Amino acid sequence: MKICQVEGTLVATARISGLQNRRLLVVKERGSSGKQVAVDPVGCKPGDWVIAVGSSAARDAAGSKDYPSDLTIVGIIDYWDEAARASA
Amino acid sequence: MQIYRVVSDLVTTKRNFWLAAKPLRVVEDAVGNLEVALDPIGTKSGDFVITIGISAARIAAGNPKITTDLTIGGIIDHWDEERWRN
Repeated sequence: MKICQVEGTLVATARISGLQNRRLLVVKERGSSGKQVAVDPVGCKPGDWVIAVGSSAARDAAGSKDYPSDLTIVGIIDYWDEAARASA
Repeated sequence: MQIYRVVSDLVTTKRNFWLAAKPLRVVEDAVGNLEVALDPIGTKSGDFVITIGISAARIAAGNPKITTDLTIGGIIDHWDEERWRN
């Protein structure tokens, strides 16, 4: 699982039917500058630190084996002090 | 899922049987790396899109037998270059 920070929601009206009307979020993985898009079945807000699963577990985590996701948020971290960890 | 921008169309007449007759697009990421993605929705050059990778790409293509590792999943409504690069 990856630790990511939520940056904001992503609106994509024209999408494949398999993605349904699920919420998509732009997330930034801890320690990298690149942005990724994750499916959010949990309900996160911008700034939240979350854990996200990849590979085939992402499909299961999104609700069904047939859901086409390669990154799904599975939980919001209650306490995460990035500043303290970065200096440690 | 990753954010890419569609660069151009890609034509390959002689192709693997399980790639079927699906349209392909050349896409680029924020640092300019090029990839080829399968396009089930119909995008045009310059569109910002989200792409689905690994095994989910095959499901996203509509048939798990299709041999792809990158499929376009949707067109992003509002996105700008600055937000993409940083």
